[in-house]
Amino acid sequence: MAAPAPVVLDVVGVRKSFGGAVAVDDVSLSVRRGSIFGFVGPNGAGKTTTLSIITGLLRPDAGTITVGGADVWNAPSEAKSKLGVLPDRMRLFDRLTGAQMLYYSAVLHGLDRATARTRSDDLALALGLDGSLDRPVRDYSIGMIKKISLAAAMIHSPSVLVLDEPFESVDPVSTSQAVDLLTRFAAAGGTVVLSSHNMDLVERVCDSVAVIVDGRILASGSLDEVRAGRRLEERFVELAGGRVAVEGLEWLTTFSD
Amino acid sequence: MVDHVLRLKLALLASAFRPGPALARTILTLALAAAVGVGIIVLALAVDVALPAHRAGIVIVASALSVAIAVAPLSAGLGSALEPGRFAPYPLDPRRLAVSLGIAGAIGLPGALAVVLGSGLVIAWAATSTTGGAVVAAVLAAAAIILSSQYLVAVAGQLAVSTMARRLVTTVARVVIGVAIAAAITTVLIVLEGREGEALSAIATVLGNSPVGLLWAAPASDLAALIARVLGGLVMVGVLAWGWGWMVARLLETPLRSRAVTSTTGLGWFDLAPATPGGVIAARSLLYWTSDSRYRAVLIALPVAPVIMMLAFAAAGAPLPPLWLVPLPVLALFLGWFSHNDVAYDHTAVWVHVTAPLPGAADRWGRCVPPILLGIPLIVVFAPLFATWSGVEGALPALLGVSAGLLLTGLGVSSVTSALGAYPAARPGAGPFDQPPTLGARAGWAQSLSLLATIGFMAPALIIAGWGFSQPEWFTVAGIAGVATGVGMLLLGIVVGGRAFRARAPELLTLVMRT
Repeated sequence: MAAPAPVVLDVVGVRKSFGGAVAVDDVSLSVRRGSIFGFVGPNGAGKTTTLSIITGLLRPDAGTITVGGADVWNAPSEAKSKLGVLPDRMRLFDRLTGAQMLYYSAVLHGLDRATARTRSDDLALALGLDGSLDRPVRDYSIGMIKKISLAAAMIHSPSVLVLDEPFESVDPVSTSQAVDLLTRFAAAGGTVVLSSHNMDLVERVCDSVAVIVDGRILASGSLDEVRAGRRLEERFVELAGGRVAVEGLEWLTTFSD
Repeated sequence: MVDHVLRLKLALLASAFRPGPALARTILTLALAAAVGVGIIVLALAVDVALPAHRAGIVIVASALSVAIAVAPLSAGLGSALEPGRFAPYPLDPRRLAVSLGIAGAIGLPGALAVVLGSGLVIAWAATSTTGGAVVAAVLAAAAIILSSQYLVAVAGQLAVSTMARRLVTTVARVVIGVAIAAAITTVLIVLEGREGEALSAIATVLGNSPVGLLWAAPASDLAALIARVLGGLVMVGVLAWGWGWMVARLLETPLRSRAVTSTTGLGWFDLAPATPGGVIAARSLLYWTSDSRYRAVLIALPVAPVIMMLAFAAAGAPLPPLWLVPLPVLALFLGWFSHNDVAYDHTAVWVHVTAPLPGAADRWGRCVPPILLGIPLIVVFAPLFATWSGVEGALPALLGVSAGLLLTGLGVSSVTSALGAYPAARPGAGPFDQPPTLGARAGWAQSLSLLATIGFMAPALIIAGWGFSQPEWFTVAGIAGVATGVGMLLLGIVVGGRAFRARAPELLTLVMRT
């Protein structure tokens, strides 16, 4: 068997607390080149906080993040040119049209005019956005905003893509288009980190998984290691605290008529 | 046919009075038109045609106002203009449509003002030997204005194939009107002062020999020239009328120019800006300044502050002419100051800048472009006018330099404060006067400190300008000092603000996420 691919994203000992509440507690991850890494956890577990810290959007209290050897917080320019980011619940400049948004993102990452335009067209075609590029982004549905954000994150061909909930509110056809795109990207040596609530999708798409609960990584490794012979969803529910026995809700099962 | 088009025109006019945001604009437009109309009649009653300077003044003022009135229909946006191309889908007789549109063009504010302007000529020349000639010339001139404005509407309708082009047409029309009215007022003031009589006559002669002033100069001519001018006017109106019929027919036959072609491939401002981080941020910023109501509210409020300040000074008993030196510096100060919280206006969209490997200075510089593009031309165009009206000798260099300095220094200071002292602002898509629930003390500090810092940095230039009132040589020094301070502080602000933006970007993002 060939030697494992080199680690391109290394997260060591990241902590973050808001006021007294610890949101991320000593999180460490390593993601290898060419892998699609699924980051799963229940609501409020610290997924978005961790991904924001990795992408330089939120300053950690402690810990280091390196992308392709560049420290995100000490050598931000070098690290950021290697990262493609899709944050969750952040606005775009939504008065721009889709085409303007892609061009904007491309030029901010140092692409020239012609490259920016051709790549915009390619990505729009691959993600099924080609009919909507001339409309302002604020007229887009949530799913389309996710798609244009994904295109904007990929346009400068980053070595690592960090996507927070990229498939939320995206229809099945578009999801499979996006998954195809990501699979091709990873097969060509790109690396993807994505968070999702959709366990089936993670199981189908990702080759490595980390489960985060209450700010701590409870399991991390290849998909097969983490799910340990069961379905990922079962393993996830178990790790996340298991099914709580339904007590005290008897009224819910006695109907009024 | 005629009554159908007229009914359409009247319905369009009535729609301007429907309650809503447009009503305020209607009232403002009416007020401006009323002021121009009253001004024409007052001037016509006051003018003394026996004086050569007054005769020259009539030609210049009437020519300038003719241009303004002819352009006026374009200034309201083309949405409500009766442009012939719009009638293309209907089976209409072009001749009759041309007549209907011509008559409809006479109804409404521009038509009324054209009639008032013509009446003004008759009033001015009343009880002289050429009253009859004045009446004929006035009728022809009013007809020429109305017909010309129909051409302009038709041509602009063909040009305005995209939103950008339409906006450009409206803006150009408004600028032309502003300049024409300013030129008319300047002429009146110069005539009142009784200076520069030769220059006025020279301008009047040139205008009188051009189509614009041909008819306005007619009553002042001797009999032969008067007949020649009236005949010339007749030919002009005849050609305009015949050409109008031809043009309407052409436009009815020509298919509408495709309005979608330009927008599918173009990126608007982004095609004009260089493909660099600073360039695209400038283009994005321009797009927001021109389309986001939070920025547009400022553009509307901007001229109001200087006017209120002037009124306050005047009420306090300050002599009026030197007060003309107040509006431009005040406007420049507020325009530069306005950017001091620009990052908060992006709200969380600023992540796009934070995750990109762009230099902080590019972000800062791009945001400074719209106020510079807006402010510098305003200063260059209006400083000479205001300096002349103020009557303060040699004040122009100081007015130019100090205004530019205040704008650029303000932008430099804003570049630093918007990175360091950002505070919650109205969200994107919010109304112009919406405020976030938690403004906090930080807002007050950022607002007042950035204003005070701008005035503080500009204090040397302002003090030197003050000395100029006793010794005019200081005005030039003040101008140079103002520009030098402005350029220096802008560059410094961009560098310092750029570093601060890079260093504090995550904290800025956290701040806007809380609102």
